[in-house]
Amino acid sequence: MAAIAELRDLLGSDRVLDDPLERRLYSKDASLMRGDPVCVVFPGDAEQVSAIVRIAARHGLPVIPRGAGTGLTAGASPMTGGIVMSMTGMNTIEIDPDNQAAWVGPGVINLDLSKQARPYGLHFAPDPSSQSACTIGGNLANNSGGPHCLAEGSTTSHVLGLEFVTADGQIHEVGGLAPDQPGLDLRALLVGSEGTLGIATRILVRLLPIADDVRTLLLDFPSVEDAARTVSDVIAAGMVPAALEMMDQRMVMAVENWLGAGLPTDAAAVLLAEVVGSTATVESEASIIAEIGRSNHARNVVIAVESEDRELLWKGRKSAFGAIAQLAPDYYLHDTVVPRTRLVETMAGVYEIADRHDLTMLNVFHAGDGNLHPLIAFDSSDEDVARRVKLAGEEIVDLCLSVGGALSGEHGVGVEKRDLMPSSFSALDLDAQARIKDVFDPDHLLNPAKVLPQGSRCFDFGGVRREVPEGAWV
Amino acid sequence: MQGWVTEHHPTRDGLTACVQCGLCLPVCPTFRLTGRETASPRGRIQAMRSVDEGQASVDAKFEEILDFCLGCRACEPVCPGMVPYGSLLEGSRAEISAQRPTAYRRLRRWVLGRVVPTPALMRILTVVLRILQRLHLIRLVPGRFRRSLSGLRPLDHAPNRVDRESDEPGGIGLLTGCIQEQWFPEVNRAAVELLRNAGHEVSIPATQTCCGALAAHDGHAEVAGRLGEANDRAFAACGTIVATVAGCSAHLVDRHGDGAADITAVIAAAIDEGRLPMLPRSGQKVVVQDPCHLRHAQKSIRPQRLILEAAGLDLVELDDAGMCCGAAGLYTILQPEASAELGRQKAGRISELGPELVASANPGCEMQLRAFLGEGYEIRHPIEMYLQALRRHG
Repeated sequence: MAAIAELRDLLGSDRVLDDPLERRLYSKDASLMRGDPVCVVFPGDAEQVSAIVRIAARHGLPVIPRGAGTGLTAGASPMTGGIVMSMTGMNTIEIDPDNQAAWVGPGVINLDLSKQARPYGLHFAPDPSSQSACTIGGNLANNSGGPHCLAEGSTTSHVLGLEFVTADGQIHEVGGLAPDQPGLDLRALLVGSEGTLGIATRILVRLLPIADDVRTLLLDFPSVEDAARTVSDVIAAGMVPAALEMMDQRMVMAVENWLGAGLPTDAAAVLLAEVVGSTATVESEASIIAEIGRSNHARNVVIAVESEDRELLWKGRKSAFGAIAQLAPDYYLHDTVVPRTRLVETMAGVYEIADRHDLTMLNVFHAGDGNLHPLIAFDSSDEDVARRVKLAGEEIVDLCLSVGGALSGEHGVGVEKRDLMPSSFSALDLDAQARIKDVFDPDHLLNPAKVLPQGSRCFDFGGVRREVPEGAWV
Repeated sequence: MQGWVTEHHPTRDGLTACVQCGLCLPVCPTFRLTGRETASPRGRIQAMRSVDEGQASVDAKFEEILDFCLGCRACEPVCPGMVPYGSLLEGSRAEISAQRPTAYRRLRRWVLGRVVPTPALMRILTVVLRILQRLHLIRLVPGRFRRSLSGLRPLDHAPNRVDRESDEPGGIGLLTGCIQEQWFPEVNRAAVELLRNAGHEVSIPATQTCCGALAAHDGHAEVAGRLGEANDRAFAACGTIVATVAGCSAHLVDRHGDGAADITAVIAAAIDEGRLPMLPRSGQKVVVQDPCHLRHAQKSIRPQRLILEAAGLDLVELDDAGMCCGAAGLYTILQPEASAELGRQKAGRISELGPELVASANPGCEMQLRAFLGEGYEIRHPIEMYLQALRRHG
């Protein structure tokens, strides 16, 4: 294939993979959907990214950027074929301690950045559960959240600027250290665009000081409702804890089976709360949260002070998705957000849907900001089960939207949530988004067929590329 | 597509236990070196699953992908799905041996199955190595062997090996280890002395042989099975089989469960129970290097540290999550470049820390560390350090 030969000339043959087995290992991310790429490339800098995009454009091949492949919505799955561009080789970190910022490559692993920043007393706040593996580029693409985004905001609040390559191969830079940039805030538009508008090649991130002191609380409850009510009450009390997370009994059992940390497997639900600040602040806030928990029937409240104990609790929370593997080979999850005030009834509804479809449901989620992650553990080789899983998933989304919620909190839309977009956006909204895509990427080469469903444009001809005869009037 | 052909192939249950979450990626040394899915545990499991599902075959690419794995098993403790990666890897390598029996692989099977387990042949090899060492001729050894052999301890003219006994075996049975007993006899001697001090009955069955770990890791499942059965007979009357090499003990624990243990676990238990003393602090610092087959494969971190503390040493930790030093059994020979890079990285981190005393409970790691740290470092097994301190305090 001519394109592959050109890519080899550009990058050297060891940085272009096209053996069938190698392609298969890059045919999907951590979601369930698989494509078939033409090849996988490993650029080393922005100039190479630009050159790859130009070669791809000349051959009409889509480009699918990929970080660590931990995404859950097929955002990095090459559903339309094309070139998978692995960004892992672009992983330099330049910390600017005076400005509390860093320029990083898109392939830098989230936790590596915080580790490197630690000697300066700084850290990168967004902490997705996959933070030990996922990349800053992927965080940027999905505007990723994490337990600590309750107080600090998601990735978009921590990206000050970026260098990126558009579909025509041009290298641009937007944003910067200055807090109020003139002109349109294109930085905000690119964060969360899932690689559909451009490919980030360098990212300027904000780093925050590490808190003086921390307390992590583990509260266990006899019912999910009690736990959910505690969440609402904590927020209603005027507090914004650094994190406020819930796990239900099945999830705690799976995690505990692996971790052996002494988590209460007989509790119907546990809450994990974290407060940060001065020692006086964290002690008073921790006792208030414990008190609110007890008034909502918490059976036991553990307040972890030592970093080892706190890390163990977080390790349990952040390994939850992987622990589902103990129950079934596949899982399907949603990422809906509901108003905190509707948490109790929504949770009841979610369990009811799973029961009605006879499915194994687990819940682990960012309770503080109402970001649910209802997970269904199943075996995708059973077609009947897979059908019921899809049905239940759609009902869960409908339920969440009906109480005033949103489709996705932090995982992105990708392919998996794409066709549900019309349930949150009007035809006009989708058309506006599609027009923005067309401005950046008129030939739909960058991560095509993601985020926006077919038919988003008011005059949509379907398919990946628009094949309109010249002079046609549409 | 040709699927699996042996009974050792990776199991369906083991493969489907992976949900591809990717939490294994950052702890995998080869993923860290390359940033590639094809060099990651998740990718390798995907490759196996592709064969299992008839989407790929055991071809040259499959072989290349699986051969690049160190077998350090760092992916296991971080895996919340509890994927049995080590056994999936051994199964895949067994399939590669069966389906792609190159001359080089057959040669390795012969060496690991016939030469290494035969003490007489190992003794001849040791004499040759000793002569080369004395005449400073190790540098003439072919490239990929030279580096690790340069990390050998000075080989003794008349090594005081612990002798295999012909008496009736019983109590703790010591597996002397085919390489350990020839090149690191001091470690086995320390083990026997400490075990007896702790009140254990120790025997060293005469009919024992190599544990088969190296053969299993390299895909020679039949050889490993044959050696394992021979040891089952040799150690039948022993309560527990104890090995002084982390790689051997990990293999034995996989096979025998509680019926086998690493020496560090047994000595640490004796210290815990007061059968061996905690010695006064000397103020000397020691860098703790965790062999992968203790830290990852056996999830054992505390025993070696307790032993070093009991020896009166102050611990200095390597903050690298137990990243492999690149020794990994035959890896130094089979993948010299990646092995060397990991060796350089590990030596670099150790030299930043300061102390020139390094504890390692595995001979392969010890040789790799010595080869890359160079002059000026003392590298010993934790139980040797403990025994030395015990003697000093009489």
